[in-house]
Amino acid sequence: MAAAGRPRRGNAAGVRYSLISWGTVGAILLLWYVATARGWISSFTLPSPAQLLGEFRLLLLKGYAGKPLAEHLWASLLRTFTGLGLGIAVGVPVGLLMGYSPAVHAVLSPIFSFLRPIPPIAFIPLMILYFGIGEFSKVALIFLAALYYVVLNSSAGVRTVPRDLIRAGENMGLTRVQLFAHVIFWAALPHIMTGVKTATAVSWAIVVAAELIAAQAGLGFMVMDATTFFRVPDVYIGIIIIGLIGVTLEIITLFLDRRLLHWAGK
Amino acid sequence: MGGEVATVPAQAPPPAKIVVRDVGRTFPAASRRSFPVVALRGVHCEVYAQEIVGLLGPSGCGKTTLLNLIAGFDRQDEGSITIGGRPAGRPGPDRMMVFQFPALFGWLTVWDNIVFGPRHRGEDEREYAPRARALIDAVGLSGREHDYPHQLSGGMKQRVQLARALLNRPEVLLMDEPFGALDSQTRSQMQELLLQVWGLYHPTILLVTHDPEEALLLCGRVYIMGRDGRIQDCLTVPFPYPRTVGLIGTAEFARLKYDLLRALRPEEDSQPSGGHAGGRLKGGGA
Repeated sequence: MAAAGRPRRGNAAGVRYSLISWGTVGAILLLWYVATARGWISSFTLPSPAQLLGEFRLLLLKGYAGKPLAEHLWASLLRTFTGLGLGIAVGVPVGLLMGYSPAVHAVLSPIFSFLRPIPPIAFIPLMILYFGIGEFSKVALIFLAALYYVVLNSSAGVRTVPRDLIRAGENMGLTRVQLFAHVIFWAALPHIMTGVKTATAVSWAIVVAAELIAAQAGLGFMVMDATTFFRVPDVYIGIIIIGLIGVTLEIITLFLDRRLLHWAGK
Repeated sequence: MGGEVATVPAQAPPPAKIVVRDVGRTFPAASRRSFPVVALRGVHCEVYAQEIVGLLGPSGCGKTTLLNLIAGFDRQDEGSITIGGRPAGRPGPDRMMVFQFPALFGWLTVWDNIVFGPRHRGEDEREYAPRARALIDAVGLSGREHDYPHQLSGGMKQRVQLARALLNRPEVLLMDEPFGALDSQTRSQMQELLLQVWGLYHPTILLVTHDPEEALLLCGRVYIMGRDGRIQDCLTVPFPYPRTVGLIGTAEFARLKYDLLRALRPEEDSQPSGGHAGGRLKGGGA
């Protein structure tokens, strides 16, 4: 019921900056158009905007590799959201527990410290070895990457909960479970959301990488397959869709962030 | 004024809400190179029903440590603490803390913050909601019930803490330098507000402060703590309630404040040419 949609910065300045951003987009499109129209770059390496639009229309009509474009898109999204959702569902409680209990932290922290410098993509070969090239290995990889970011941030969130806030809860006679549900979880939520945002972005990057290596559908598969057959416009279209979906995911998480954390008063 | 134990007020003593007997607390050394810190030793004190008692002392003298022991956030190494006749033990709503830096739940509105305790203890909303409304009125938060803490000023946040604490109907209200982080006008307003609220509800209050003026203005009795973690003295403040901030302007107030300031700096009594600000203060008073 509180006014959730309060403006973030001065309106006039906000509009001006977003105009500048759109200006950047326009400038890149213009440069692209001029570069291809003037023949600075061969149209094989970089197709013109018109060429891409034509190819995009064909893709929409005929699909790619015998499957509609939407199916490729859906395949990637489904893998991402399954892995990400499971990662969040498991990661938040594990992270909260890890942040709350020094014992649990002591048990788990070596694992996470070891995983920290390893890019999740490095596990793709192992995942294929363990689970084959089916859906499970991709979802499992995304799950693990999302789990990692959510656990670390949730645990850090609990450890930064002000001591007096927990004391205030104890003071009013809350049980330990109530303290978790009504104080610690909420106080850690800004950190948890940071984990969820990072995990979302990483998951999307990983699904594409996993599909590049082994898949029969998905945007990553499309890009890899099109490269193999020198269908350069399709490579570009695949990449552009991947980027746009990534931006959309970020906007969605930012929106969620603002709805859930309006009280954090930045 | 050495280790002298406080005396019970002259009139028939009302029931003791807090009794602290021979309490000591030593914090273990933080590392191998440091030493254990004795925060409290041989502390005796008591707070009677409907009193406002001050705990006055310099920073780091153990005032907050004692408050935390009474609240149940920490355990003493020696001695005993009873609240309304029962050992202090784990924290509970029988003694509510008002923290120096408002420990409000940022994700909840003012109203939800205030009713947090009774709501989660499963008490009857028809019972506590009218009381909460009256308290919100008393602390001057009417119209702000649906605001979130980040929309409130420091003084407003302390009002929320005060109302939240009182709604739990504690045996004692523990206040840890509650106005210490406020600007001086707001602090003065809040002191007056506390006197008004006390006039309405007569809660038993133990107030930690390092400000002699605040102690004299609000408290009926003031325990003075030294840097050694002992209670040095207990002053019975002669001003009758109801009090107002105007009290600060009286000569008697100024004299008592000077006495308290001197009691807080015992080291300078033994060093006649003892230095900077203290020397000036004494010269002015003599």
